[in-house]
Amino acid sequence: MALAIESTRFGHVEIDPDTVIEFPDGLIGLGGSRYALLTNDPESPFLWLHCIDDPSLSLPVTDPHRFFANYQVELTDEDGERLGLDDATPVDVYVTVVAGSQLSEFTANQKAPILIWGGQGHQIINQAPGTDLRAPLFAEVMGSSSNSAGDPS
Amino acid sequence: MLNITRRRGERVVLGDDVFISVLEVSGQTVRLGIDAPRSVRVYREEIWLEVKRENEAAAHATGASLPADLPAPLKSADVEGTRSNVVKPPQS
Repeated sequence: MALAIESTRFGHVEIDPDTVIEFPDGLIGLGGSRYALLTNDPESPFLWLHCIDDPSLSLPVTDPHRFFANYQVELTDEDGERLGLDDATPVDVYVTVVAGSQLSEFTANQKAPILIWGGQGHQIINQAPGTDLRAPLFAEVMGSSSNSAGDPS
Repeated sequence: MLNITRRRGERVVLGDDVFISVLEVSGQTVRLGIDAPRSVRVYREEIWLEVKRENEAAAHATGASLPADLPAPLKSADVEGTRSNVVKPPQS
């Protein structure tokens, strides 16, 4: 049976129950316990992480590896244990996107990625060095030479 | 706000299973030890606050669309794994 939400952003949306992602802890500071990923353009690098229990709550997210070649996620040992994750667990990684009026104003939060696996999702604090709370999303793909992000490799 | 005075080595208990110890006091700095069940998430407040603000800023983007005419992504790989639901934005 399909779930239906009356999204303030998208209107009536049918959600395939198999695609529901449980967020036991919600998003940091925002809550919500069940979300789904929506897209209005399968070609777009952006998805909307839409709360199922709050029709007014949705955030654009993207796969950070499409924009940041060297992006990595490191968990604290505590988070690794708490979430039952190790290096062998296949996990989908998303970052939240703050949209701007121009591409150069789009930013992604590299510091608090959202990890999704096995039908559950968690937003964690990334321990990898050099992550930015407001990383210019298009700086690398547009070949900005002014921001090499201090990558020595 | 509840106000409790503690000395080094003393603890505060939240509920039955969260223990906060004063490990060290040095000038303006206090080192705390937190012993809590794994399910309890512990953040430094400023980090929690900045992530909360970014989440809110992302959620407050207006409209249902993001630019489609984008520079080519670094990798052509599709977003993998998790299935997503296809929706059409309402015509306005």
